[in-house]
Amino acid sequence: MNRFLIMLSIELLAVMVVGSLAMAQGPGSYDPRKPDLQYEVLSPWADVDPIQLRGISPRLTSFDGKKIGLYVNTKRAAMPIANAIDKELKDIFPDIDTIIFHSNLPNVNEIKTENKDKFIAWAKSVDAVIAVVGD
Amino acid sequence: MLLANKGFVNDAHSAASSKGVPGIRVVGESVACESTVIPEIEEGVAAAMDDVIEALTSPLSPEEKSPEQQTGKTPRVAFKGTLQEVNQFFYRKGWGDGLPIIPPTEEAVAEMLTGTDLPPDHIVTKIIPRKGKATIEKIAVNAVMAGALPTHMPVLIATVEAFADPKARFDTFEVSTGSWAPSLTINGPIRRDIHINCSSGSLSPGDISNSAIGRAVGLIVKNIGGARKAIEDMGVIGNPGKYSLVIGEDEEASPWEPLSVERGFTKEDNTVTVFFPNTFIQSVPGGTDAKGILSTLAAMGTTSMSSVILIPSWAKVLAGEGYSKQDVKDYIAEHSKPVVIPGFEEMASSDRIDTDNLMILVAGGPGSFIGLLKSVGPRFFNNALVTKKIRLPKNWDKLAAKYGILKPIYERY
Repeated sequence: MNRFLIMLSIELLAVMVVGSLAMAQGPGSYDPRKPDLQYEVLSPWADVDPIQLRGISPRLTSFDGKKIGLYVNTKRAAMPIANAIDKELKDIFPDIDTIIFHSNLPNVNEIKTENKDKFIAWAKSVDAVIAVVGD
Repeated sequence: MLLANKGFVNDAHSAASSKGVPGIRVVGESVACESTVIPEIEEGVAAAMDDVIEALTSPLSPEEKSPEQQTGKTPRVAFKGTLQEVNQFFYRKGWGDGLPIIPPTEEAVAEMLTGTDLPPDHIVTKIIPRKGKATIEKIAVNAVMAGALPTHMPVLIATVEAFADPKARFDTFEVSTGSWAPSLTINGPIRRDIHINCSSGSLSPGDISNSAIGRAVGLIVKNIGGARKAIEDMGVIGNPGKYSLVIGEDEEASPWEPLSVERGFTKEDNTVTVFFPNTFIQSVPGGTDAKGILSTLAAMGTTSMSSVILIPSWAKVLAGEGYSKQDVKDYIAEHSKPVVIPGFEEMASSDRIDTDNLMILVAGGPGSFIGLLKSVGPRFFNNALVTKKIRLPKNWDKLAAKYGILKPIYERY
Protein backbone atom coordinates (compact mmCIF):
# COMPACT_ATOMS: atom_id res chain seq x y z
CA MET A 1 0.00 0.00 0.00
CA ASN A 2 1.53 3.33 -0.98
CA ARG A 3 1.73 6.37 1.28
CA PHE A 4 -1.29 8.05 -0.39
CA LEU A 5 -3.56 5.07 0.25
CA ILE A 6 -2.40 4.83 3.87
CA MET A 7 -3.17 8.51 4.50
CA LEU A 8 -6.55 8.17 2.76
CA SER A 9 -7.40 5.15 4.88
CA ILE A 10 -6.48 6.99 8.09
CA GLU A 11 -8.57 9.98 7.05
CA LEU A 12 -11.58 7.83 6.18
CA LEU A 13 -11.23 6.00 9.48
CA ALA A 14 -11.15 9.30 11.36
CA VAL A 15 -14.26 10.51 9.56
CA MET A 16 -16.06 7.26 10.36
CA VAL A 17 -15.08 7.41 14.04
CA VAL A 18 -16.16 11.03 14.41
CA GLY A 19 -19.35 10.34 12.49
CA SER A 20 -20.29 7.29 14.54
CA LEU A 21 -19.56 9.15 17.78
CA ALA A 22 -21.84 11.96 16.66
CA MET A 23 -24.64 9.48 15.95
CA ALA A 24 -24.23 7.57 19.18
CA GLN A 25 -24.15 10.64 21.38
CA GLY A 26 -27.81 11.32 20.83
CA PRO A 27 -29.88 14.27 19.70
CA GLY A 28 -28.09 17.39 18.61
CA SER A 29 -24.60 15.98 18.69
CA TYR A 30 -21.95 18.53 17.85
CA ASP A 31 -20.09 17.88 14.64
CA PRO A 32 -16.49 19.03 15.20
CA ARG A 33 -15.93 19.04 11.44
CA LYS A 34 -18.30 21.98 11.09
CA PRO A 35 -17.53 24.61 13.76
CA ASP A 36 -19.38 27.32 11.84
CA LEU A 37 -22.53 25.30 11.34
CA GLN A 38 -25.68 27.34 11.97
CA TYR A 39 -28.21 25.93 14.40
CA GLU A 40 -31.82 27.09 14.32
CA VAL A 41 -32.99 26.30 17.81
CA LEU A 42 -36.37 25.90 19.47
CA SER A 43 -37.29 27.81 22.59
CA PRO A 44 -37.25 25.95 25.91
CA TRP A 45 -39.45 28.63 27.51
CA ALA A 46 -42.99 27.40 27.99
CA ASP A 47 -46.25 28.91 26.82
CA VAL A 48 -48.77 29.80 29.47
CA ASP A 49 -52.51 30.14 29.27
CA PRO A 50 -53.36 33.82 28.98
CA ILE A 51 -54.94 34.95 32.19
CA GLN A 52 -57.09 38.01 32.57
CA LEU A 53 -54.73 40.57 34.06
CA ARG A 54 -56.27 42.84 36.63
CA GLY A 55 -55.31 46.34 37.63
CA ILE A 56 -54.58 47.16 41.24
CA SER A 57 -57.07 48.93 43.48
CA PRO A 58 -57.29 52.73 43.56
CA ARG A 59 -54.91 54.28 46.06
CA LEU A 60 -55.89 56.10 49.20
CA THR A 61 -56.23 59.87 48.92
CA SER A 62 -55.87 60.20 52.66
CA PHE A 63 -55.39 58.01 55.72
CA ASP A 64 -58.04 59.87 57.74
CA GLY A 65 -60.23 57.35 59.54
CA LYS A 66 -59.11 54.56 57.25
CA LYS A 67 -58.93 50.90 58.14
CA ILE A 68 -55.64 49.28 57.06
CA GLY A 69 -55.42 45.50 56.77
CA LEU A 70 -52.15 43.82 57.67
CA TYR A 71 -51.83 40.38 56.08
CA VAL A 72 -49.25 38.36 58.00
CA ASN A 73 -47.89 35.03 56.75
CA THR A 74 -46.34 32.18 58.76
CA LYS A 75 -42.72 33.34 58.71
CA ARG A 76 -41.59 34.13 62.21
CA ALA A 77 -40.51 37.70 61.40
CA ALA A 78 -43.82 38.53 59.78
CA MET A 79 -45.80 39.30 62.93
CA PRO A 80 -43.09 41.45 64.55
CA ILE A 81 -42.77 43.38 61.27
CA ALA A 82 -46.55 43.84 61.14
CA ASN A 83 -46.52 45.06 64.73
CA ALA A 84 -43.80 47.56 63.86
CA ILE A 85 -45.78 48.80 60.84
CA ASP A 86 -48.88 49.09 63.00
CA LYS A 87 -47.00 51.22 65.48
CA GLU A 88 -45.44 53.41 62.78
CA LEU A 89 -48.75 53.97 61.00
CA LYS A 90 -50.55 54.89 64.19
CA ASP A 91 -47.76 57.26 65.18
CA ILE A 92 -48.06 59.04 61.83
CA PHE A 93 -51.86 58.74 61.39
CA PRO A 94 -53.38 58.55 64.89
CA ASP A 95 -56.97 58.09 63.74
CA ILE A 96 -56.48 55.04 61.55
CA ASP A 97 -57.50 51.55 62.51
CA THR A 98 -55.62 48.36 61.65
CA ILE A 99 -56.82 44.79 61.42
CA ILE A 100 -54.43 41.87 61.19
CA PHE A 101 -55.15 38.68 59.27
CA HIS A 102 -52.68 36.03 60.39
CA SER A 103 -52.34 33.13 57.97
CA ASN A 104 -51.77 29.84 59.76
CA LEU A 105 -50.77 27.74 56.75
CA PRO A 106 -47.49 28.08 54.87
CA ASN A 107 -47.43 28.72 51.13
CA VAL A 108 -51.13 28.55 50.38
CA ASN A 109 -53.65 30.56 48.47
CA GLU A 110 -55.82 31.77 51.34
CA ILE A 111 -59.07 31.54 49.38
CA LYS A 112 -58.43 27.85 48.77
CA THR A 113 -58.23 27.03 52.48
CA GLU A 114 -60.71 26.63 55.28
CA ASN A 115 -59.94 30.26 56.12
CA LYS A 116 -61.55 31.43 52.87
CA ASP A 117 -64.67 33.05 54.36
CA LYS A 118 -62.74 34.70 57.17
CA PHE A 119 -60.16 36.00 54.69
CA ILE A 120 -62.75 37.44 52.30
CA ALA A 121 -64.60 39.12 55.16
CA TRP A 122 -61.35 40.66 56.38
CA ALA A 123 -60.38 41.88 52.89
CA LYS A 124 -63.81 43.46 52.37
CA SER A 125 -63.60 45.24 55.71
CA VAL A 126 -60.45 47.23 54.98
CA ASP A 127 -59.58 50.24 52.80
CA ALA A 128 -56.04 49.10 51.96
CA VAL A 129 -53.81 46.10 52.59
CA ILE A 130 -50.16 45.76 53.46
CA ALA A 131 -48.98 42.19 52.98
CA VAL A 132 -46.11 41.26 55.27
CA VAL A 133 -44.17 38.13 54.33
CA GLY A 134 -41.34 38.09 56.85
CA ASP A 135 -38.66 37.47 54.23
CA MET B 1 -49.03 46.57 48.57
CA LEU B 2 -46.48 44.05 49.74
CA LEU B 3 -43.55 44.60 52.06
CA ALA B 4 -40.67 42.16 51.60
CA ASN B 5 -36.97 41.94 52.15
CA LYS B 6 -35.29 43.74 49.26
CA GLY B 7 -33.79 40.45 48.06
CA PHE B 8 -37.29 39.10 47.45
CA VAL B 9 -38.69 41.99 45.39
CA ASN B 10 -38.23 40.23 42.03
CA ASP B 11 -39.78 37.09 43.46
CA ALA B 12 -42.78 39.08 44.68
CA HIS B 13 -43.29 40.66 41.26
CA SER B 14 -43.14 37.25 39.54
CA ALA B 15 -45.62 35.83 42.04
CA ALA B 16 -48.00 38.74 41.48
CA SER B 17 -47.77 38.42 37.69
CA SER B 18 -48.43 34.69 37.76
CA LYS B 19 -51.56 35.41 39.79
CA GLY B 20 -52.76 37.95 37.21
CA VAL B 21 -52.01 41.14 39.13
CA PRO B 22 -48.68 42.33 37.73
CA GLY B 23 -49.04 45.86 39.06
CA ILE B 24 -48.94 45.04 42.76
CA ARG B 25 -46.59 47.48 44.40
CA VAL B 26 -43.72 45.91 46.27
CA VAL B 27 -41.58 47.78 48.78
CA GLY B 28 -38.25 46.30 49.74
CA GLU B 29 -37.06 46.51 53.33
CA SER B 30 -33.71 45.66 54.89
CA VAL B 31 -34.80 43.64 57.92
CA ALA B 32 -32.76 40.44 58.15
CA CYS B 33 -34.88 37.58 56.85
CA GLU B 34 -36.72 35.76 59.64
CA SER B 35 -35.24 38.21 62.13
CA THR B 36 -36.09 37.74 65.81
CA VAL B 37 -34.44 40.99 66.92
CA ILE B 38 -37.20 43.49 67.60
CA PRO B 39 -35.08 46.71 67.59
CA GLU B 40 -33.63 45.68 64.22
CA ILE B 41 -37.11 45.00 62.85
CA GLU B 42 -38.41 48.35 64.10
CA GLU B 43 -35.46 50.15 62.56
CA GLY B 44 -35.91 48.42 59.20
CA VAL B 45 -39.64 49.10 59.12
CA ALA B 46 -39.17 52.75 60.08
CA ALA B 47 -36.71 53.15 57.20
CA ALA B 48 -39.27 51.73 54.75
CA MET B 49 -42.32 53.71 55.93
CA ASP B 50 -42.01 56.57 53.43
CA ASP B 51 -42.03 54.02 50.61
CA VAL B 52 -44.95 52.15 52.21
CA ILE B 53 -47.04 55.32 52.41
CA GLU B 54 -46.05 56.26 48.85
CA ALA B 55 -47.11 52.82 47.61
CA LEU B 56 -50.51 53.21 49.27
CA THR B 57 -51.18 56.74 48.09
CA SER B 58 -49.45 57.71 44.84
CA PRO B 59 -51.88 57.69 41.88
CA LEU B 60 -51.98 54.68 39.62
CA SER B 61 -50.29 54.71 36.25
CA PRO B 62 -52.37 53.66 33.22
CA GLU B 63 -50.51 50.31 33.15
CA GLU B 64 -51.22 49.72 36.85
CA LYS B 65 -54.91 50.51 36.27
CA SER B 66 -55.24 48.37 33.20
CA PRO B 67 -52.29 46.09 32.43
CA GLU B 68 -51.67 45.09 28.85
CA GLN B 69 -53.07 41.63 28.24
CA GLN B 70 -50.52 38.96 27.32
CA THR B 71 -50.97 36.12 24.84
CA GLY B 72 -48.88 33.71 26.87
CA LYS B 73 -47.30 32.47 23.65
CA THR B 74 -43.56 32.11 23.10
CA PRO B 75 -42.08 32.07 19.58
CA ARG B 76 -41.33 28.42 18.80
CA VAL B 77 -37.97 29.20 17.17
CA ALA B 78 -35.77 31.13 19.55
CA PHE B 79 -32.55 31.82 17.65
CA LYS B 80 -30.17 30.87 14.85
CA GLY B 81 -26.40 30.90 15.18
CA THR B 82 -23.24 28.88 15.68
CA LEU B 83 -22.81 26.56 18.62
CA GLN B 84 -21.07 29.29 20.58
CA GLU B 85 -23.65 31.91 19.66
CA VAL B 86 -26.54 29.62 20.63
CA ASN B 87 -24.91 28.94 23.97
CA GLN B 88 -24.31 32.61 24.64
CA PHE B 89 -27.87 33.50 23.63
CA PHE B 90 -29.39 30.87 25.93
CA TYR B 91 -27.11 31.88 28.78
CA ARG B 92 -28.05 35.54 28.46
CA LYS B 93 -31.74 34.64 28.35
CA GLY B 94 -31.29 32.82 31.64
CA TRP B 95 -32.34 29.50 30.08
CA GLY B 96 -29.24 27.54 31.01
CA ASP B 97 -27.60 26.16 34.11
CA GLY B 98 -24.11 27.53 33.60
CA LEU B 99 -22.85 24.59 31.54
CA PRO B 100 -22.82 24.44 27.73
CA ILE B 101 -26.01 23.15 26.16
CA ILE B 102 -26.71 21.01 23.13
CA PRO B 103 -28.61 23.17 20.57
CA PRO B 104 -32.26 22.06 20.52
CA THR B 105 -32.70 22.08 16.77
CA GLU B 106 -35.83 20.82 15.06
CA GLU B 107 -33.99 17.63 14.10
CA ALA B 108 -32.59 17.02 17.58
CA VAL B 109 -35.97 17.57 19.20
CA ALA B 110 -37.62 15.25 16.66
CA GLU B 111 -35.11 12.56 17.61
CA MET B 112 -35.80 13.15 21.30
CA LEU B 113 -39.53 12.76 20.62
CA THR B 114 -38.93 9.20 19.46
CA GLY B 115 -38.68 8.42 23.16
CA THR B 116 -42.42 8.72 23.69
CA ASP B 117 -45.66 7.79 21.97
CA LEU B 118 -47.34 10.96 23.25
CA PRO B 119 -47.88 13.76 20.72
CA PRO B 120 -45.65 16.87 20.97
CA ASP B 121 -48.56 19.10 21.95
CA HIS B 122 -49.75 16.83 24.78
CA ILE B 123 -49.69 18.79 28.03
CA VAL B 124 -48.42 16.64 30.91
CA THR B 125 -49.18 19.36 33.44
CA LYS B 126 -48.67 23.05 34.05
CA ILE B 127 -45.61 23.66 36.17
CA ILE B 128 -45.71 26.30 38.83
CA PRO B 129 -44.90 29.03 39.71
CA ARG B 130 -45.38 30.35 36.15
CA LYS B 131 -47.86 27.60 35.28
CA GLY B 132 -45.88 26.89 32.12
CA LYS B 133 -47.37 24.23 29.89
CA ALA B 134 -45.21 21.14 30.15
CA THR B 135 -45.89 19.88 26.66
CA ILE B 136 -44.04 16.85 25.43
CA GLU B 137 -42.20 19.10 22.97
CA LYS B 138 -41.02 21.53 25.66
CA ILE B 139 -39.84 18.62 27.80
CA ALA B 140 -37.97 17.32 24.75
CA VAL B 141 -36.37 20.70 24.02
CA ASN B 142 -35.02 20.94 27.55
CA ALA B 143 -33.92 17.30 27.41
CA VAL B 144 -31.90 17.96 24.26
CA MET B 145 -30.26 20.96 25.92
CA ALA B 146 -29.24 18.76 28.84
CA GLY B 147 -27.63 16.15 26.60
CA ALA B 148 -30.28 13.57 27.41
CA LEU B 149 -31.18 10.62 25.20
CA PRO B 150 -34.60 9.71 23.79
CA THR B 151 -34.60 6.77 26.22
CA HIS B 152 -34.68 9.30 29.04
CA MET B 153 -37.97 10.84 27.90
CA PRO B 154 -40.19 8.31 29.73
CA VAL B 155 -38.40 9.08 33.00
CA LEU B 156 -38.69 12.82 32.45
CA ILE B 157 -42.40 12.60 31.69
CA ALA B 158 -43.05 10.51 34.81
CA THR B 159 -41.03 12.96 36.89
CA VAL B 160 -43.07 15.90 35.63
CA GLU B 161 -46.20 13.92 36.53
CA ALA B 162 -44.77 13.48 40.04
CA PHE B 163 -44.23 17.22 40.35
CA ALA B 164 -47.93 17.71 39.61
CA ASP B 165 -48.92 15.50 42.53
CA PRO B 166 -49.90 17.82 45.41
CA LYS B 167 -48.37 15.41 47.94
CA ALA B 168 -44.90 16.24 46.60
CA ARG B 169 -45.38 19.91 47.58
CA PHE B 170 -43.34 20.85 44.54
CA ASP B 171 -44.84 24.33 44.82
CA THR B 172 -42.84 24.94 47.96
CA PHE B 173 -39.70 22.93 47.41
CA GLU B 174 -38.80 24.14 43.92
CA VAL B 175 -38.50 27.74 45.04
CA SER B 176 -38.00 27.68 48.79
CA THR B 177 -35.18 29.30 50.70
CA GLY B 178 -34.29 25.81 51.99
CA SER B 179 -32.67 24.89 48.65
CA TRP B 180 -34.42 21.55 48.31
CA ALA B 181 -33.47 19.63 45.16
CA PRO B 182 -35.53 17.06 43.28
CA SER B 183 -34.25 13.57 44.08
CA LEU B 184 -35.18 10.84 41.60
CA THR B 185 -34.92 7.16 42.51
CA ILE B 186 -35.40 4.81 39.60
CA ASN B 187 -36.67 1.24 39.94
CA GLY B 188 -37.46 -1.49 37.45
CA PRO B 189 -35.87 -2.99 34.36
CA ILE B 190 -35.38 0.43 32.76
CA ARG B 191 -32.38 0.94 35.07
CA ARG B 192 -30.46 -1.67 33.10
CA ASP B 193 -31.83 -0.60 29.70
CA ILE B 194 -30.55 2.95 30.12
CA HIS B 195 -27.60 2.17 32.39
CA ILE B 196 -28.71 4.05 35.48
CA ASN B 197 -25.79 3.73 37.84
CA CYS B 198 -26.91 2.03 41.04
CA SER B 199 -23.43 1.15 42.25
CA SER B 200 -20.12 2.95 42.80
CA GLY B 201 -20.43 6.69 42.64
CA SER B 202 -24.11 6.67 41.68
CA LEU B 203 -24.52 10.27 42.79
CA SER B 204 -21.28 11.48 41.21
CA PRO B 205 -20.96 12.80 37.64
CA GLY B 206 -19.94 10.42 34.88
CA ASP B 207 -23.01 8.41 33.85
CA ILE B 208 -25.09 9.92 31.07
CA SER B 209 -28.43 8.73 32.47
CA ASN B 210 -27.88 9.79 36.09
CA SER B 211 -26.39 13.09 34.91
CA ALA B 212 -28.51 14.11 31.94
CA ILE B 213 -31.88 13.13 33.41
CA GLY B 214 -31.23 15.24 36.50
CA ARG B 215 -29.89 18.09 34.43
CA ALA B 216 -32.94 18.00 32.17
CA VAL B 217 -35.21 18.07 35.22
CA GLY B 218 -33.41 21.20 36.44
CA LEU B 219 -33.89 22.90 33.07
CA ILE B 220 -37.55 21.86 32.94
CA VAL B 221 -38.16 23.37 36.38
CA LYS B 222 -36.47 26.57 35.25
CA ASN B 223 -37.73 27.00 31.70
CA ILE B 224 -41.18 25.43 31.90
CA GLY B 225 -41.97 26.19 35.53
CA GLY B 226 -40.28 29.59 35.49
CA ALA B 227 -38.33 28.99 38.71
CA ARG B 228 -35.10 30.85 38.09
CA LYS B 229 -32.29 31.05 40.60
CA ALA B 230 -32.41 34.11 42.84
CA ILE B 231 -35.47 35.42 40.96
CA GLU B 232 -38.17 32.89 41.84
CA ASP B 233 -36.05 30.03 43.24
CA MET B 234 -34.94 31.70 46.45
CA GLY B 235 -32.69 28.94 47.80
CA VAL B 236 -30.40 30.78 50.18
CA ILE B 237 -27.29 28.64 49.94
CA GLY B 238 -28.30 26.65 46.88
CA ASN B 239 -27.78 22.96 46.36
CA PRO B 240 -25.45 21.07 44.00
CA GLY B 241 -28.20 18.44 43.83
CA LYS B 242 -30.09 20.83 41.58
CA TYR B 243 -27.65 19.85 38.81
CA SER B 244 -28.61 16.22 39.22
CA LEU B 245 -29.70 13.90 42.01
CA VAL B 246 -30.60 10.69 40.22
CA ILE B 247 -29.95 7.21 41.55
CA GLY B 248 -31.21 3.72 40.88
CA GLU B 249 -31.83 0.98 43.39
CA ASP B 250 -29.47 -1.96 43.02
CA GLU B 251 -32.36 -4.41 43.07
CA GLU B 252 -30.22 -7.32 41.95
CA ALA B 253 -27.84 -6.89 44.89
CA SER B 254 -30.52 -6.15 47.46
CA PRO B 255 -31.77 -8.82 49.85
CA TRP B 256 -35.08 -7.00 50.15
CA GLU B 257 -38.02 -6.12 47.93
CA PRO B 258 -37.44 -3.05 45.73
CA LEU B 259 -38.73 0.37 46.71
CA SER B 260 -41.23 0.20 43.84
CA VAL B 261 -42.79 -2.98 45.28
CA GLU B 262 -42.96 -1.39 48.74
CA ARG B 263 -44.86 1.43 47.14
CA GLY B 264 -47.49 -0.74 45.47
CA PHE B 265 -45.99 -1.53 42.08
CA THR B 266 -44.72 -4.80 40.67
CA LYS B 267 -41.08 -5.67 40.23
CA GLU B 268 -41.57 -5.48 36.46
CA ASP B 269 -42.90 -1.93 36.66
CA ASN B 270 -40.54 0.95 36.00
CA THR B 271 -40.98 3.74 38.52
CA VAL B 272 -39.53 7.01 39.64
CA THR B 273 -39.84 8.08 43.27
CA VAL B 274 -39.51 11.78 43.90
CA PHE B 275 -38.85 13.81 47.01
CA PHE B 276 -36.92 16.95 47.81
CA PRO B 277 -33.92 16.62 50.13
CA ASN B 278 -31.66 19.52 50.99
CA THR B 279 -29.01 17.66 52.95
CA PHE B 280 -26.61 14.86 52.11
CA ILE B 281 -24.45 13.29 54.77
CA GLN B 282 -22.37 10.14 54.93
CA SER B 283 -20.86 8.06 57.69
CA VAL B 284 -19.09 4.78 58.15
CA PRO B 285 -21.01 2.52 60.52
CA GLY B 286 -19.88 2.31 64.12
CA GLY B 287 -19.65 -1.46 63.70
CA THR B 288 -20.20 -3.79 60.78
CA ASP B 289 -22.79 -5.99 62.45
CA ALA B 290 -26.49 -5.14 62.51
CA LYS B 291 -26.18 -3.33 65.83
CA GLY B 292 -23.35 -1.14 64.55
CA ILE B 293 -25.15 -0.30 61.32
CA LEU B 294 -28.52 0.40 62.92
CA SER B 295 -27.13 2.56 65.70
CA THR B 296 -25.31 4.61 63.06
CA LEU B 297 -28.52 5.09 61.05
CA ALA B 298 -30.28 6.33 64.17
CA ALA B 299 -27.41 8.65 65.07
CA MET B 300 -27.19 10.24 61.61
CA GLY B 301 -30.27 12.36 62.29
CA THR B 302 -32.54 10.45 59.94
CA THR B 303 -36.02 11.96 59.68
CA SER B 304 -39.16 11.39 57.68
CA MET B 305 -38.58 12.34 54.05
CA SER B 306 -35.16 10.74 54.06
CA SER B 307 -33.48 8.24 51.80
CA VAL B 308 -31.08 6.01 53.67
CA ILE B 309 -28.64 4.70 51.07
CA LEU B 310 -27.28 1.37 52.24
CA ILE B 311 -24.58 -0.39 50.26
CA PRO B 312 -25.48 -3.99 49.40
CA SER B 313 -22.95 -5.32 51.94
CA TRP B 314 -24.70 -3.65 54.88
CA ALA B 315 -28.16 -4.53 53.56
CA LYS B 316 -27.08 -8.18 53.48
CA VAL B 317 -25.73 -7.95 57.03
CA LEU B 318 -29.06 -6.59 58.24
CA ALA B 319 -31.11 -9.11 56.27
CA GLY B 320 -28.81 -11.86 57.46
CA GLU B 321 -29.57 -10.94 61.06
CA GLY B 322 -33.29 -11.09 60.30
CA TYR B 323 -34.12 -7.45 59.65
CA SER B 324 -36.62 -6.57 56.93
CA LYS B 325 -36.71 -3.09 55.42
CA GLN B 326 -39.66 -2.28 57.66
CA ASP B 327 -37.72 -3.50 60.71
CA VAL B 328 -34.90 -1.12 59.82
CA LYS B 329 -37.35 1.75 59.45
CA ASP B 330 -38.99 0.89 62.75
CA TYR B 331 -35.61 0.81 64.47
CA ILE B 332 -34.76 4.25 63.09
CA ALA B 333 -38.17 5.63 64.08
CA GLU B 334 -37.75 4.33 67.61
CA HIS B 335 -34.14 5.34 68.19
CA SER B 336 -33.50 8.41 66.05
CA LYS B 337 -33.41 11.67 67.92
CA PRO B 338 -34.48 14.75 65.96
CA VAL B 339 -31.94 17.52 65.65
CA VAL B 340 -33.33 20.30 67.80
CA ILE B 341 -32.42 23.87 66.95
CA PRO B 342 -33.14 26.17 69.92
CA GLY B 343 -36.24 28.13 68.99
CA PHE B 344 -37.59 25.35 66.80
CA GLU B 345 -38.37 22.79 69.49
CA GLU B 346 -42.01 22.64 68.42
CA MET B 347 -41.09 21.71 64.85
CA ALA B 348 -38.70 19.02 66.04
CA SER B 349 -41.26 17.51 68.38
CA SER B 350 -43.79 17.32 65.54
CA ASP B 351 -41.29 15.59 63.28
CA ARG B 352 -41.93 12.08 64.52
CA ILE B 353 -40.64 9.72 61.90
CA ASP B 354 -43.32 8.51 59.53
CA THR B 355 -41.89 5.28 58.16
CA ASP B 356 -44.11 5.48 55.06
CA ASN B 357 -42.00 8.43 53.99
CA LEU B 358 -38.64 6.96 54.91
CA MET B 359 -36.79 5.20 52.10
CA ILE B 360 -34.29 2.43 52.67
CA LEU B 361 -32.46 2.28 49.38
CA VAL B 362 -29.88 -0.33 48.46
CA ALA B 363 -27.30 1.33 46.23
CA GLY B 364 -23.65 2.25 46.10
CA GLY B 365 -20.49 0.28 45.55
CA PRO B 366 -17.80 -1.48 47.50
CA GLY B 367 -16.67 0.33 50.62
CA SER B 368 -18.14 1.14 53.98
CA PHE B 369 -19.99 4.44 53.83
CA ILE B 370 -23.71 4.88 54.44
CA GLY B 371 -25.44 7.79 52.69
CA LEU B 372 -28.39 9.82 53.88
CA LEU B 373 -30.38 12.25 51.76
CA LYS B 374 -32.78 14.08 54.00
CA SER B 375 -35.18 16.96 54.00
CA VAL B 376 -34.62 19.20 56.96
CA GLY B 377 -37.87 20.62 58.24
CA PRO B 378 -40.37 19.74 55.52
CA ARG B 379 -42.90 17.78 57.58
CA PHE B 380 -44.37 21.16 58.30
CA PHE B 381 -45.76 21.03 54.75
CA ASN B 382 -47.42 17.62 55.07
CA ASN B 383 -45.56 16.38 52.05
CA ALA B 384 -44.94 12.77 51.07
CA LEU B 385 -42.86 10.61 48.78
CA VAL B 386 -44.42 10.37 45.34
CA THR B 387 -43.88 7.37 43.05
CA LYS B 388 -45.00 7.37 39.43
CA LYS B 389 -44.94 4.61 36.87
CA ILE B 390 -42.62 5.18 33.92
CA ARG B 391 -44.49 4.34 30.72
CA LEU B 392 -42.37 3.12 27.84
CA PRO B 393 -43.10 3.73 24.16
CA LYS B 394 -44.01 0.84 21.89
CA ASN B 395 -40.60 0.90 20.20
CA TRP B 396 -38.74 0.67 23.50
CA ASP B 397 -36.65 -2.39 22.70
CA LYS B 398 -35.31 -0.78 19.53
CA LEU B 399 -34.63 2.51 21.31
CA ALA B 400 -32.89 0.81 24.20
CA ALA B 401 -30.73 -1.15 21.77
CA LYS B 402 -29.89 1.95 19.75
CA TYR B 403 -28.85 4.17 22.65
CA GLY B 404 -27.80 1.47 25.08
CA ILE B 405 -24.49 1.05 23.30
CA LEU B 406 -23.37 4.37 24.72
CA LYS B 407 -21.21 3.46 27.70
CA PRO B 408 -17.88 4.79 28.95
CA ILE B 409 -14.90 2.49 28.53
CA TYR B 410 -12.23 3.41 31.03
CA GLU B 411 -8.81 2.34 29.82
CA ARG B 412 -6.21 1.41 32.39
CA TYR B 413 -3.24 3.71 32.77
